[in-house]
Amino acid sequence: MDSFGIELENGSIIAIAIVAVVYIAVITAFGGYFARFNKNINDFFYSGNRFSWWLPAASMVATGIGSYSYLKYSEQGYNTGMSSTMTYLNDWFLAPFFLFGWLPIIYFARIKSVPEYFERRFNRTARYISLTIILAYMFFYIGYNLYTIGVALEGMFGVPQLYSVPILAAFLGAYVTFGGQTAVIFTDLFQGIMLYVAGGLAIFAGIYALGGFDEWWAYLPVNHRLPFVHLTDNPMFNSAGLFWGEALAGSIAFTFMNQGFLMRYLTIKSVNEGRKAAFFNVMVTLPVSAVIVGAIGWIGKSLVIKQTVTGGALAGYEFVDIQNTFHTFIIVCWATVKHNAWIFGFIVAALMAALMSTIDTLINACAAIGIYDLYKPLIKPEASDEHYLKAARWASIITTFIGLLLVIWFHAQKGSLMSIHYKGIMIIIPAIVTTIFMGAFWKRFNATAACASMILGSIVTVITVWFPDVIDPLAWFLSGPQNGIYIYFRALFGMLITAVIGFVITLLTSHRDDKDVTGLTIDTLDEAMHSYKGGEPNHEVGKKVYEMQVKKDESIQADWIEVAPSAMTTLKARDGDLLYMTDSRWWLGGLRSYHVKVKTNKALGDKDIAMSTPTFEEAYFLPGKAVTLEKII
Amino acid sequence: MSEKLGSLKWWLMLPAFLVFAFYFPRYLIQTLGADNPWTSYLYLYGFGFFYTGSGVLLILKTGACNLSRPLHRKWFALIVGGFFYFAIAHALWIYLAISIPYKGAL
Repeated sequence: MDSFGIELENGSIIAIAIVAVVYIAVITAFGGYFARFNKNINDFFYSGNRFSWWLPAASMVATGIGSYSYLKYSEQGYNTGMSSTMTYLNDWFLAPFFLFGWLPIIYFARIKSVPEYFERRFNRTARYISLTIILAYMFFYIGYNLYTIGVALEGMFGVPQLYSVPILAAFLGAYVTFGGQTAVIFTDLFQGIMLYVAGGLAIFAGIYALGGFDEWWAYLPVNHRLPFVHLTDNPMFNSAGLFWGEALAGSIAFTFMNQGFLMRYLTIKSVNEGRKAAFFNVMVTLPVSAVIVGAIGWIGKSLVIKQTVTGGALAGYEFVDIQNTFHTFIIVCWATVKHNAWIFGFIVAALMAALMSTIDTLINACAAIGIYDLYKPLIKPEASDEHYLKAARWASIITTFIGLLLVIWFHAQKGSLMSIHYKGIMIIIPAIVTTIFMGAFWKRFNATAACASMILGSIVTVITVWFPDVIDPLAWFLSGPQNGIYIYFRALFGMLITAVIGFVITLLTSHRDDKDVTGLTIDTLDEAMHSYKGGEPNHEVGKKVYEMQVKKDESIQADWIEVAPSAMTTLKARDGDLLYMTDSRWWLGGLRSYHVKVKTNKALGDKDIAMSTPTFEEAYFLPGKAVTLEKII
Repeated sequence: MSEKLGSLKWWLMLPAFLVFAFYFPRYLIQTLGADNPWTSYLYLYGFGFFYTGSGVLLILKTGACNLSRPLHRKWFALIVGGFFYFAIAHALWIYLAISIPYKGAL
């Protein structure tokens, strides 16, 4: 194994190892605590749809940054500069499709997984074709994350992947298996903070070493300061390809198809809050993350140039020599923290946090697919919640194990980590993302067309690996790179072929299809909302009612509450409206909360809220704690 | 609004897009040059405008975004504003990158 270009003494290794092991142990214990919030599989996988927007949104920070991100984007940042942010800053184009299309569709239809959507929208065959592709995508990411952290640990400490990867996977599997989605969200929130703090620390050390922000900027070559690379020059990283392959195909895959992210949105208490989370993610999380993962590369470039100009190492620092750019992150951090093993250990722990926070989401997501799409419909359709909860935990263990096996496959691959990543993803996603898009946004698109599109689209995309020339005309038409290496244009080509197949087959066969798809396409969202509520939606915008005191009344049926007319007026609610009640301590983020239907009770005081014990317990409320009420629809 | 959009002939948009997709990047490369940072910028936001614009038209035409609802109005404004927010931020970034002197030239 190629060394990471830094020499660690035994004392340093021990210090770094202590920080890393303590960190992993703390996260595992913290995640395990949340096992108590799982009464059924809805809790286990979707946390009972109870969270405020900021909790899943903040936890997405860590989910979106994988263990490969620091290494890959620092390398990219060193090689091409601030254009390494391109893949993080081109997601807004998708906003209308997601905020007013896919998000309300899956939320109101109570979709648990994309394959389930395919069965309800098309048929069972479509479900299992999509399931195969989606699992390939998810397992690819699990194996890839485990493999990259194994590469990093082996490079730094000489620990063979054979030992490091299974040990890490065992810790991860432990808290995901017991804590479920709630554990994933809370540990990811914690790990997101850790990632930003450690990343920020590394950036601060680098900027300080350079002599300040002005010096860093002044020694950064102009083409490294730019937010975009050359339109076509570099086949591996060019603006034209990144737009079509990343902003279009990659972003749709990450937003529409990544079960981990979808589940995160489904934990949120309402569609409106889901929109807030998505907005925050694109506007804040992704730009900040782009800086956190790429900045060490930009600093490294500036540092190397300043060394050259000033004729040697910067005062007080060792000479930075980056022979293999994949090692940029490790080499620059080690040099700029002046070989302080404790601080460096903290940064290494951040690498592990990035790994754990991405893989825990993926493991939980794959387990959800395993239960909702395989076990429940095919193996045991009727069983108790306890049984499914146990099965969900087994599914988490099996998923972790499969991810481990995939590391062996990755180990045998040739090429850089980045090329393995994009080559794989850009082959897997085109057919499925196009089919999802057409299914959600074109009502006439039918089951025959969906199945054919996924199968034929995938086959054609794979064939282009051996016959890339077929992409030439498309690249020429769009003024993309025309050098025979089409990592990103392959995705666009696959999407276009899939769309054409879907379009033609729909036109030829649509007369055969009379399936009711109400609530599953963008033009039937009002019906979806009606069905979700079980009545006419109330779109009036009311205000929250704070500091309500719970009064137990066993005569009220479960999942219903009663409040005074004054509260109803503030909420602008009517009898039968869907409300959300939560513990008034905002920082719990909705951990203790529940959706209920409301009824007016003139006998109650302005700040009284009446409910039965089962409803109180479903909300995980604590006696004596105030409750906040909010109308949903 | 949505009724007016409903009368749009969607099939006319495809050839219009194809013409744009063919000529727009060629025009940029001819006038600015492939090396110019503004070429990549305009390529991204030119096609991005079509991308976001088609989404905006779709959500309005299908009624998924109903501008008579206060919350939908707010989100619609954010969607449109968000596009320009990123476009302006990237433009400012390029301007700063090319206008501040570089000290590393030997």
